[in-house]
Amino acid sequence: MTLNPARSSLSSASKALARCSRPPPSSVASRMGLSARQMSTETTPTTTEHTASNQSSSERRPRWSYTPERMKGPGFSINIVKDPARKIWHVNEDPEKVDAVYNRLLGKNGDKMLPDEIKWLAVTHKSFDQGRRGFNTRLAYYGRQILALETTRSILANPLPEDAAQEAAISDEHDREPFQHPALANVDKLYARQPQDVISKEKIAKLAFDVGLGEITRWKPRMPENLQRSGIVPVLNTSVLAIVGAISLQHGAEVAHRVVRDRILKRVA
Amino acid sequence: MMKRLRIERAAGQLLVARPCGPSTPGAALRSSYKCTTSQVPVRHSSSSSAAEAEHTPLYEEDGTDHARFPPLEKLPPNTSALPSPLPSRALESAKLSALHARLSLSPKIPLQTLARTLVDASADPNPYFNNSSLAFLGATIINYHASEWFMVHYPRLPMEVLEAAMTGLAGPTPLDRIAKAWGIEPAAAPGGEVDPGLLQFSLDQPGETVRGFGYTRTVVDKINKNNWQRSVAARVIYEDNLPALPSTTKAKQTTPAVAEQEEQQQEEQQQDDSEVDYAETSPAAPKFSPTSYGSSTTRELSEKAHANFVRAVVGAVFAHCGREAAKSFVKAHVLSRQLDLERLFAFKHPTLELAMLCAREEFDPPVARLLSETGRLSRTPVFVVGVYSGNEKLGEGAGATLEQARLKAAMHALKAWYLYSPGEGVKVPSDVLGQEEEEAAAAGGKKKGGWEPVYIDIGELISR
Repeated sequence: MTLNPARSSLSSASKALARCSRPPPSSVASRMGLSARQMSTETTPTTTEHTASNQSSSERRPRWSYTPERMKGPGFSINIVKDPARKIWHVNEDPEKVDAVYNRLLGKNGDKMLPDEIKWLAVTHKSFDQGRRGFNTRLAYYGRQILALETTRSILANPLPEDAAQEAAISDEHDREPFQHPALANVDKLYARQPQDVISKEKIAKLAFDVGLGEITRWKPRMPENLQRSGIVPVLNTSVLAIVGAISLQHGAEVAHRVVRDRILKRVA
Repeated sequence: MMKRLRIERAAGQLLVARPCGPSTPGAALRSSYKCTTSQVPVRHSSSSSAAEAEHTPLYEEDGTDHARFPPLEKLPPNTSALPSPLPSRALESAKLSALHARLSLSPKIPLQTLARTLVDASADPNPYFNNSSLAFLGATIINYHASEWFMVHYPRLPMEVLEAAMTGLAGPTPLDRIAKAWGIEPAAAPGGEVDPGLLQFSLDQPGETVRGFGYTRTVVDKINKNNWQRSVAARVIYEDNLPALPSTTKAKQTTPAVAEQEEQQQEEQQQDDSEVDYAETSPAAPKFSPTSYGSSTTRELSEKAHANFVRAVVGAVFAHCGREAAKSFVKAHVLSRQLDLERLFAFKHPTLELAMLCAREEFDPPVARLLSETGRLSRTPVFVVGVYSGNEKLGEGAGATLEQARLKAAMHALKAWYLYSPGEGVKVPSDVLGQEEEEAAAAGGKKKGGWEPVYIDIGELISR
């Protein structure tokens, strides 16, 4: 069963505007951020929380650009942190920068390959905004499978490089001759050369830095003063793989595999 | 005629009481064979054997004891010294031909390749004789098709549920079951003299296999020692793929012990997902029953070996018949299996999650309403509670207490959200593989040849 959005039309725009801002913390419940939750049974539903997004569609803000009002907390935190300076981290909000990065990664008209929301989703890590604006983990999981398959196929399709070819020549201690077949000869290359020899997370991270994903990826490092130890490498990997996954779901596997071959493997290997 | 004579000759010897030896016949052969010289032993005469109180194992040229195991075919000399049967023997094995026919494999796949898929890395360390490369290739293909199937058919699945579902559909356990359904029998111990149609793996050494497509974290020892939590987001990049690929034992990667620990922890985490969610479903059944054969280690090794065989067959189909044939094979055998996704969910605070979901999607806040009840003051009350957003019912649940019913209703609402599926007939991305891009663009979205973009969800609610 699909959940249909319960969007009903508003009575007047002024009512909507009045409800745009967060209600003042007048009650305990709202101070605790529980204004959204109704704890008891009610007979008449109240349509109170229609925020700015329920205005006419032309004025609707894109989802990537704001945190839903009712998901926000009371506005302060009682958590005592070690270093308050670590809470400060700014992410990109400029769509043109995102488009530029996509053009650099995917080539001409790369920014038109994905719809706006998906473009932003693919570069949003789970650590951004407590995950309230969505994140790219699932896309990255799928993108990784695509990358693994395409890398393996590229190993099978291309001849082995020199050093790997030497490693491939091993002698059997019982002097047996293996069964020869051209198809199996390709598969046997996997002994000497594996996807990890072709591609690694450091190489993908370097590619991501080169195209500018480091600036536009939306995430929250644990230690803004030390991005390496905060894990910028896996975060950038997630972004790249999520873009691949999104392209596959948007355009099909043919386009996605071509993107992996031409835009990632060619630049990385 | 020769065989009958041999059996008659052997009968007398078999009736005689034998001394206790090593437990498995393979071990007996191995330990004894190492002691004897490689010269051809002299055959004893048959008449004197019946009177002998003990039977000393008799090793013919091929290294097997013809008295205990009358041979079905003439084997070359020193066959049992080999770790796996020679490829030429594949053409003479009835079991192998039957397996080939049973799986309806294309004639393009030679019997020798099928024989190679049955040799695990633990049986034969030579990578050109074992199935490790084929298994790696097959695992990549299976994981790809399984993951794209989930992305299209269940776009809103939470990440942990997706990992558990992938393990349940394409992991070692279902592949092991597929192999057993195909009628694969394991050899008691690997060796050159076994029938090539038997699955050969060793319970003693794990064997060196192709590395998985994953990375070892430098802190992996600390993770295992301190039971650090590995985040879902980090697992996507780091872990040796979920479901587990053929385990890694090469120098740079983790040691087998750590790899197995990691896999065990992964399995535990996935079993956590399938646990009771607020006492709604029965607890997950144990993996192996207490009366299963062997020990947990041997069962794990057996499961891995069977799973690697299935992967190797997929790899062989890909190598010999191409991408489309491999895809149909995976669809027919792996993706056609039934998996109850609903039971993989485990919620911690379902009402909180549902409220946050409604907040995020900007629905009306959820309200629980008692729809009907019976027997409130009796021993077995039933309350039916529905959760509403505005005038629309999101979910309904029945329980013995009001609280229980409300939680069930919230859980059902969340499952209805997360288990959204566009239907069975939706195309997966690889359906358009092989088409020219211009042809796809010309065909357009609505027409048959084109690709329509599928729904991409922004992600699940993060609940603590």
